[in-house]
Amino acid sequence: MTAQTETAAPPRTPHRIPLWANPRIGLVVLLVVLVVLFSVLRPAFLNTRLTLTPLQSDISVYLVVGLAQLSVLSLGHMNMAVGRMAATSAFTMGLVHDKLGAGLVLSLLAGLAAGALLGALAGLIISRTGVNSFVVTLAMDFALAGLITILYTGVTGGVAFPTMPAAMTSLRFDTFADYCLGDVCGPRVPLVVPFAVLAALLVGLLFRYSRLGREILMTGASPRAAELSGIPTKTRIVQAHALSGLLAALAGFLLAANNGAFSASVGDSFLLPSFLAPVLGGTLLVGGAVSVLGAVLGATLTQVIYKGLNLLQFQLDELQLYIGLVLLAALSLDRARHVLAQRRGSRP
Amino acid sequence: MTLTAASRATLPGRHLWRTPEFTLGVIAVAGFLALAVATGGNLLSAGTLGAFFRFLAVPIVIGLSQMVVLAVGQMNLSVGALTGFCAMASAWLMLEAGLPAPLAVLAALLLGLAVGVGNGALVVLTRINGFIVTLATMTIIQGLRYGVNGPDTYQGYSAGLREFGRASILGLPAVFLVAVAVAVLVALFFGRTVTGRQLLASGGSPFAARLSGISHDRSLIIAHGLSGLLAGVAAVLTVAASGSVNATIGDDLLLPSFAAPIIGGVALAGGMVSVTGTLLAAFLIRLVDVMQAQFGINPRWVDLIIGAVVLGAVLLGTVRAKLQERST
Repeated sequence: MTAQTETAAPPRTPHRIPLWANPRIGLVVLLVVLVVLFSVLRPAFLNTRLTLTPLQSDISVYLVVGLAQLSVLSLGHMNMAVGRMAATSAFTMGLVHDKLGAGLVLSLLAGLAAGALLGALAGLIISRTGVNSFVVTLAMDFALAGLITILYTGVTGGVAFPTMPAAMTSLRFDTFADYCLGDVCGPRVPLVVPFAVLAALLVGLLFRYSRLGREILMTGASPRAAELSGIPTKTRIVQAHALSGLLAALAGFLLAANNGAFSASVGDSFLLPSFLAPVLGGTLLVGGAVSVLGAVLGATLTQVIYKGLNLLQFQLDELQLYIGLVLLAALSLDRARHVLAQRRGSRP
Repeated sequence: MTLTAASRATLPGRHLWRTPEFTLGVIAVAGFLALAVATGGNLLSAGTLGAFFRFLAVPIVIGLSQMVVLAVGQMNLSVGALTGFCAMASAWLMLEAGLPAPLAVLAALLLGLAVGVGNGALVVLTRINGFIVTLATMTIIQGLRYGVNGPDTYQGYSAGLREFGRASILGLPAVFLVAVAVAVLVALFFGRTVTGRQLLASGGSPFAARLSGISHDRSLIIAHGLSGLLAGVAAVLTVAASGSVNATIGDDLLLPSFAAPIIGGVALAGGMVSVTGTLLAAFLIRLVDVMQAQFGINPRWVDLIIGAVVLGAVLLGTVRAKLQERST
């Protein structure tokens, strides 16, 4: 949002914000309360095989989706096309495997490259024309939504590829408990989890320690100041969007692994969760600040709520209602906490 | 016409044929004629032409509903869901509560207005970005919309209302005329009323507007309220024109609601609106729709084309702005 990025760079509060005002602590407390509540109401919530293992797969997918959004939120931009970028990448993976007979690694790399290219294209249009990222990615979403169905119908004659790499079946069903070294077996953690953990670690390291990440954040905080400090802001915009596309592609791959097929519907439900995870975790829409740990907590919280309400046999409509209410409540509380903390801090 | 906070007199040498609306108008007329020729005049037959304009009504109103919040630099992601919710609520009032049609229509409008004001109040009170607030309320409203009647369809409500949906005046469908009347009212609101000018002023520069004594908070609440009211109007038109409603109404309205004003030349940053541009853009999108139906093209091509047109429109806008900069 141009209007916002210009007035961005929220005045940094000179005093330290007290610990209790840290939004991450609030999320952890909320998470613990909800887990206890759900386990008391439905003891099946703690069943490893039925609940906890699938829950970890879901969290992995939506964490990566959240990271895809987070990498452009760092600029104060949005990526409305996360879902379609994921779908287009999943199509590429399916195509490379099904038609060219490539294995898992090669298909995955091709898909990631397709996602990164799409993201870079969005970034290129945004940085060259100066048009709002919302419009560009929304139009891209429109265009890709049409393209994906046409491509699937044209190539497969249906809405999904009939085959997928054999290794993806193990990604779908296996946990580390199925792999043993002598008598020592791993925990019941699905094989998709390391992908998400690795992605979160790398994105966290990027924004915290690398020059590239810091420069992207500075571009987000104040494009003009960054430009004047000699940061190639246009290149940084392209790179951040390419990262977003890459992560969207990874999320598409993980979801396809969970679902067991490269299908046209991959990514359909990505848009709302992509904002939920980072925004609940304290990432600002105006850019200049991200919290990867917050995104991890945000994604976990959302999926715990979904799973818990599902177990309590809530209907789809009630589920949506409560997710919306939780989002509003969490954000309002966050706001109230922030205001309180500032008032306390400004008192001599 | 494009209405900005600045008066038109400050743009000397801006001739009619250089406005984006003129370009859009030419494309619209040319496209319409081309399609009429390509279909062998089938488009001009009374039945096809009636259907063309009947299903243009809702896209116009929903585009205006988004435009009103864009004017103050906000977005309303809940327009589509709200349209569906108001439609379901009014059908419920007529069928299950037994209210007469006029009361149900009024209730749908009031419901839209109330939800819109609620959106605005949340934005003002919490200071959370309007995008996130309406994303959350969209999710909530989707739940409520489904909650009215589950997956079932309402039909067979007030005969008078459905009659109105099918009626034509001078060859043009009544619902289309209502949409045009609403557009005229919105244009007058932004062009002639103090409140409308204040909305544009606070959209253009909240800070400058505040210094001139305009409450930005008030503008936000008014804009969101008006957006909700227009979503209510769209709901009434849907109920009248379609003859049956279910919980999926509004799902396919969110993206067109942005496409119409953006192709029409409304800036996302706020401070300017273009009612004519939004109308013409909605017309163009409808034209693509009809083309798809007439030639039996895969409907997915329509999404692809509209996406490309939106991107093309913004690119064209930037090129034009650069050329103008260079020529001055």
